[in-house]
Order: sequence, then C-alpha cells, then structure tokens
Amino acid sequence: MRSSMTILFILFNLLSYFTWSVAKKMKDEDFSEFDDFDEDEFVVESPSSPSASQLPSKMQSKKPEVVNTDYSFQSPSSKSADIKVNDEVTIDDEDEDDDLMFDEEEFETSDGYSSSSPTTSTIPDLKITEIPASLTGNHWEAYHCEAIMLLLLLSYLINFLLGRSKNARLADIVYRSQRDLLERNFCLVGDNGQTRTTQSADDSTINDSTTNKMQKESESLYILWCSGRTAIESMLMEVRLAKRQCLFNSLAAMIKSSNDMLIYTADYSKEDMETFVFCLAKKHCAAKLHRDMNDLSQFCSERKTADKRGLNNGNYQILSEIGEVSSAIIDNRVVDFIEKYPDVLEYIHISDQYTGMKIQNDTQQTSPNTANTTSNAGSAAPQQDALNTSERSVRHVLIIAFNLVARNSRSLEITTETVCSDYLRFVLQLIDRVNSFRFTLKESKNKAIKNRQRIEEQFLKNVYQQRQEQAQQRREEKRRAEKEKIMQSDDPERQRKWEEKEHKREMKRRQPKMKQMKVKAM
Amino acid sequence: MDNRRQARIHRFRPALITQIDDALPDYMNLMGMIFSMCSLMLKIKWCAWIAIFAALVGFANSRTTDDAKQVLSSFMLSISAVVVTYMQNPAPMTIPFMQ
Repeated sequence: MRSSMTILFILFNLLSYFTWSVAKKMKDEDFSEFDDFDEDEFVVESPSSPSASQLPSKMQSKKPEVVNTDYSFQSPSSKSADIKVNDEVTIDDEDEDDDLMFDEEEFETSDGYSSSSPTTSTIPDLKITEIPASLTGNHWEAYHCEAIMLLLLLSYLINFLLGRSKNARLADIVYRSQRDLLERNFCLVGDNGQTRTTQSADDSTINDSTTNKMQKESESLYILWCSGRTAIESMLMEVRLAKRQCLFNSLAAMIKSSNDMLIYTADYSKEDMETFVFCLAKKHCAAKLHRDMNDLSQFCSERKTADKRGLNNGNYQILSEIGEVSSAIIDNRVVDFIEKYPDVLEYIHISDQYTGMKIQNDTQQTSPNTANTTSNAGSAAPQQDALNTSERSVRHVLIIAFNLVARNSRSLEITTETVCSDYLRFVLQLIDRVNSFRFTLKESKNKAIKNRQRIEEQFLKNVYQQRQEQAQQRREEKRRAEKEKIMQSDDPERQRKWEEKEHKREMKRRQPKMKQMKVKAM
Repeated sequence: MDNRRQARIHRFRPALITQIDDALPDYMNLMGMIFSMCSLMLKIKWCAWIAIFAALVGFANSRTTDDAKQVLSSFMLSISAVVVTYMQNPAPMTIPFMQ
C-alpha cells in the first residue's frame, strides 16, 4: 500500500510537470500571430509623430479610406463641376465629404500617407522591442523558489525512504534475535487477531523460519503478539523506534534526543498475580509516569530514590504501594542486569490495577477484560458505556521498557542483534518472579485490600454523580420539550394548568426537606 | 522445562497496544486542506507548496490502520492546488517577506 502510494505520488508529480509545460507552451503560442509579419511591412515613425506610432493598425485599416478620401480631395472640383453642370441640383457635398474625409489637421501624418498613389510602399515598419528575459517569466532561472521547494520535497522523500528502510531493518533484527527463544516459550508467536485460525493451529502453512511475523502498525512501530505460556495470558512486544522517516522529527531529535525502545507488556489473569502496584523507573521517567498513569497516581503516594546495591548512583526511583514488594522484586537478578547494561532499563511497571493513562482513561473503560474474545476487535467503547458499567476494567500487567542504544562504539544494529535475547531472558525471569510472588506479611494484604476498596468507592461515587447529572439533564430536556409543546398548542387553559403545575413543583423543590417524626400518643 | 501451554492461547486485540497521543497526522491533513483552499481561492503559490509538504508529512507519520483514502485525497488536493495556481499565473513564485 505504501509503495503503491509512493508510486502514485511520483506519477502525480510527473503529471503536474507535464501540465505546467503544456500551459507554458500555450502561453507562448498566444503571441504566435505576431511572428509571421515581415519587418518591412511596418515602418515605425519617429517620436515626433506619436499619433502615427500609436495607431499603426488603425492607419492600416483606414488606409483604403484615406485613399478614397484622397480621390475625393483631388477631384472635388470635378465633383463640384459635376454638380455645377446640373444647374437644377445644387447639392452641397462639402458636408458629406467632410464626414468621409479625415480632417487634415486632426491627424499629423507624414507626407507618405497623403500621397495619392496606393502602389507606393510607404507602409511603416514596426520594430518589436526586445523585452528583458526576466520579465517574461519564461526563463528557467526565474523559478529559483520553485526549484528550492522541489529540492526540499525530494530530500524529504529520500529521507522518508531511507528512514523507513532503517526502521524496518532494526525491527527485523530484533525479531530474528529473539525468534528462537520466543518459539521455545510461547505456543503462539505473531497474531493479528483477524485471521480465523491462529498461525500455530493452521497445519497447512509451513512454519517458515524466515518469515517475519511482526505486525507493522506504522513506519516507527512494530508489534509482536505472543501467547500460550504458563504464568501469563499473553505478551505484547512493541518495538517503538524513533521517527526516522520524518525529516522534521529527525531534526527535532538532534535537539531533544529520542531513543528507540523495546516494550514488553505481559498480561496476567487475576489468579496469577498478587495485588500490588509497583514501579522502578529512571528519574525523569518516574516523574512522568507518576503524573500520567492512573494507578501509580492513585496507589503510590511518593517517589523514593532506589538505594539498593547496584542502584546507588541515584539514577532510578521507586514508586511502591506496599513496602515489602520493593525488596522482593528488585532482587539480585535485576541488579545484575542493571549493572551489566547501564542506562538500558527505562522502567518496570507492575500493577494489578492498570487502567492506562489519565487522559485516555475515559476511552479505555471497556467491558471487563475478557481474554477469550475472538470476534471483538477491541475498539474503545464510548464514555457512555463507562458510566453504565459499575465495574472498573482493570488489567493485571507487567510492563518492562528497554532503550535500544549502541554500545561499545558498535553500530546500533550490531548491538541490538547481540543483546536482544538477553533482554527477553530478563523479561521471562521477571514474569515468573511476579507470578510466584505472594505477600508474606498479613498487613501488606490488608493494606492492599483497603486501598482497593477506597479507590472502588471513589469510582462508584463518580459514576453515581455522573449518572445523576445525566438524569437531571434528561429531565430538563423533557420539561423543555413539554413546555414548547404546551406553548405551541394555543390553548390558554392548558397553558395555565401547566404553569400552575410547574409553580407547585418549584415551591416543593424550594421547601427544605423536613423529616417527619411520628409521636406516639400516650 | 517446557513452559508452553496450548490451552492458554489468547487472540490479539488492537486495544491492547499502548495508546500514545499522536495527533500529528490529523493536524497535517487539516493543515494541507486549509493551505490548499487558501492557494486555490486567494491564488497564493507558496500556500500550495506548503500544502504538499503537509500532505507528505501526514503520510509519513500516519498509522497503518488509518484510512488511506484520506491521505490520498489530501495529496491530490494539494497537487491540484499547485497545478491550478500555476496555470492561472505561470509567473515565478515570490515569497512576501523576501521581496
């Protein structure tokens, strides 16, 4: 689709170029009628006779008339003689002649024009003045702005093609370096959710190890869905690359650096995971997550700097709901990984109350997470549905984000190829660790239950308030419609009755609600 | 130890992709349409060129799930704006603040 669109774009460019050249040719042909005249036919008069030069064509058309009038000039005597001959007819032809003749003083002509002979070659010569090339606009050099624009377009297009191919290559490297480990751990590797049967269940397709099963979501986002493993329901691997295909993003990246990221999101079922919210993240990332993520802002009150062994440099911060979890999750393996690959681990986010980011919370309130839906494509339900459900749809997730950075002065591609399988191994170990972890202290469990009850109550209160507002709005609209109907009915009696009813309703609403106490008579 | 379990297979749902607010393709489409209209109505050449840029940036940043017809129509509108503007006035473009 992308390649066909690129080809279409190039074709349109060619079409526009041809159209423009045709338009230019047509414009050139506009002046072609003047090309065939010889210079000898026209003689341009000196500046002293401006009227002659101004009216060369007019003179040309008037020339036969001039000749005629010359004849009439020359033989007025003969004419008058003729007239005189007819004594009875005394027609004064002077006026008539005056109408036909040019007044000699009106036009200043050269002697050539007043001559009677039509055969003499006294046609004035027309000299076509040379107009500077820059004013005609037909010269290529005048179009320097257009050339710059075309160059910019071409450079953007070239950058798009190069960036797209580099991103595709990186995604391919990530997939190939992890393919074996993924296929050893998951039954289903790669699924778009739209085919009737999964690729693993389809016996007819040959399991070709060279086919890339990653899905391209955009030029900078590739995803891979894995499922069919103990401990988790599914794992989504997202390769979020820098937008190399867009020239403006690449230029912006020089000012504000953006990394290529590898994000693993593992979904657990309710029984597979303990109830806690925890996050280990880099400093700048921790602040952002604490602000934007619903669950982290609701359950984790403060951010602490990670002081454990290996995390002493203060790069990382911890957001934890239950104190016991930090020491259980950040074990030796995590510390060793961070020591081996510094600056690679961006964040680890573990939550049984995951509802996404704050801004998108309304659109993500879908029906409770049903894991086995095959028909539902997962489109976001409107806010109305959220209000109608009295349950918060939460996910139990483990999200780990890695930065793909070049190490040891090697290229990014070579580094990615060598370390990606280590990242996946770390993820799988953490998945098993989270699955096997259970609270040792009873207080932790009680605290978790209390927190969740508090948040649930808040949520229900919000839903109830919103429902009340909606009901109020509906009542107002109904009343307004009723009022309009009554006003339009032109029945004064009905109007009066309705107004009385409204007035009573208002009075009742304004009265303070008093509780009635029944006193038993002794 | 083989951790694979056939019974625990779940199908992919697009809603599970981490949503990131990226409205750039939509803004670029809108910008392309506005500049195309400006160039056609007001006969301004540089508007038409910017419309082509906007359409190209919108195309480069668009998602696969986006409707391709919208991107294509944005392109066609901007190219027709350039062609029509130059046919009406084939003179070279002049940028206002650089005169």
